Amino acid sequence: MTKDSYTVTVPKDLADLIPTFMSNRKKELQTLRAALAALDLEQLRQLGHRMKGVGNSYGFEKVSLLGKQIEDGARSGDRSALEACIADYDDYLARVSVVYG
Amino acid sequence: MAELAIEQKSPRSDTAFRVLVVDDDPDMTAFLAALLRRQGIEVGIAGDGNAALARVAEAPPDLMLLDVMMPGPTGFEVCKKLKSDRATALMPIVLVTALEDKESRVKGIEAGADDFLSKPVNPPELLARVQTLRRLHETRRELESRRQLAQLQRKEAIRKAFSRYISPRLADRIIQDVGVEGGPFNAGAQRSNIVVVFVELRGFADLIESRDAPEVVAMLNERFAALTEAAYHYDGTVLNMTGESMLVGFNVPFLQSDAASRALSTATEMLGRFGSAALRRGHDTDVGLSLSAGICMGEAVIGNVGSPHYLSYTAIGDPVDTAAQLARLAGANEVLVCGRVHEAVRGLLPAGTLAPRADATLQGRPGTVQVFAVRV
Repeated sequence: MTKDSYTVTVPKDLADLIPTFMSNRKKELQTLRAALAALDLEQLRQLGHRMKGVGNSYGFEKVSLLGKQIEDGARSGDRSALEACIADYDDYLARVSVVYG
Repeated sequence: MAELAIEQKSPRSDTAFRVLVVDDDPDMTAFLAALLRRQGIEVGIAGDGNAALARVAEAPPDLMLLDVMMPGPTGFEVCKKLKSDRATALMPIVLVTALEDKESRVKGIEAGADDFLSKPVNPPELLARVQTLRRLHETRRELESRRQLAQLQRKEAIRKAFSRYISPRLADRIIQDVGVEGGPFNAGAQRSNIVVVFVELRGFADLIESRDAPEVVAMLNERFAALTEAAYHYDGTVLNMTGESMLVGFNVPFLQSDAASRALSTATEMLGRFGSAALRRGHDTDVGLSLSAGICMGEAVIGNVGSPHYLSYTAIGDPVDTAAQLARLAGANEVLVCGRVHEAVRGLLPAGTLAPRADATLQGRPGTVQVFAVRV
């Protein structure tokens, strides 16, 4: 797990959307944890697919990368990979900061 | 997260380009909507396939950005449904998908998608694709409005052409009928039960000898105009007009359940108008012109008859021949009707309106036919 901080640059005119976007990512993290605890691989796959699509659209490349890994992990049923991805996502959300440009 | 789906209402305008964004992820719809609104595009949002179909039914957008993996109908299913409906088949649909495999692309093409956009969405790529489809849409709209204008002009030309032969009301019905499969003017020749009024003008042969040609033509035109007005008044169709006769049909090209009554009223009004036309000319009232008419009903062949260079929409058959012979039998300013017309109208007219005359022998017919005279 990296201790680096993450900075994402978002276009100014999307600034209004970012608080909701970040809040939804935190809710998403909770949902991922619950799905992993229940070993609901279909829900994990769907959540990963959604993260993959929305993350880098806003400029959050790592959200899309983790989303793809979660989608793949859910498909293969690799629980330890899923656990690592979710922990990585938690760490990322705690460290990411946004600048508007 | 559904509670986060916020749709910012912007004032609707008829000329604005309208895009419907369909995605179950509110962050995605908010993102796409923000990008599009920045371009002055009017944006609607639907959170799933069913909501999208409902929005389209309510007001079809000019373009749809459609997610694929959604609860309920998938984007493929929504796309296929809209593309198979004539009303929405031309609406451009862009599938916005995080599915990367070629199979999904093929599925999208098979569903009729106009374009694809990959998630994560690259804003410049999104805007470029939307602008291209917008230009296409505007070109299509321009072509459509030109096509509609051309169709309007064509219908107006038809109206002007047909208004010479039929009443304006019938002309409107024919225009509605243009392009309708099986409509009277699109069907080939057919047999129909019709009622015809054959009108004969008498006395013009003598006038031709004694008057200048322009004067004779002016007098003829004035009287034919009066007779045509009477025919149009009862929605009759002028099937033929020669120098000294005129054939008016009823129950053609459209059904008229009271065709016999209309024919009788037309003939009676023709007598009145013919007299008025003469009176208007003042000094020409006593030029020896008269009108006689015969009315008959029965089955006739209706169609465009003639050569490729000259066609006339007319009727041929027994009722036409009988009406012509009755007109010749009639006295000056008299209307004669056949037994079938008498049968059709006798309960509808005051007693004594039709007086029996001696049965007549008609040329080319065995036996005799019943004849009645109209008392004006």
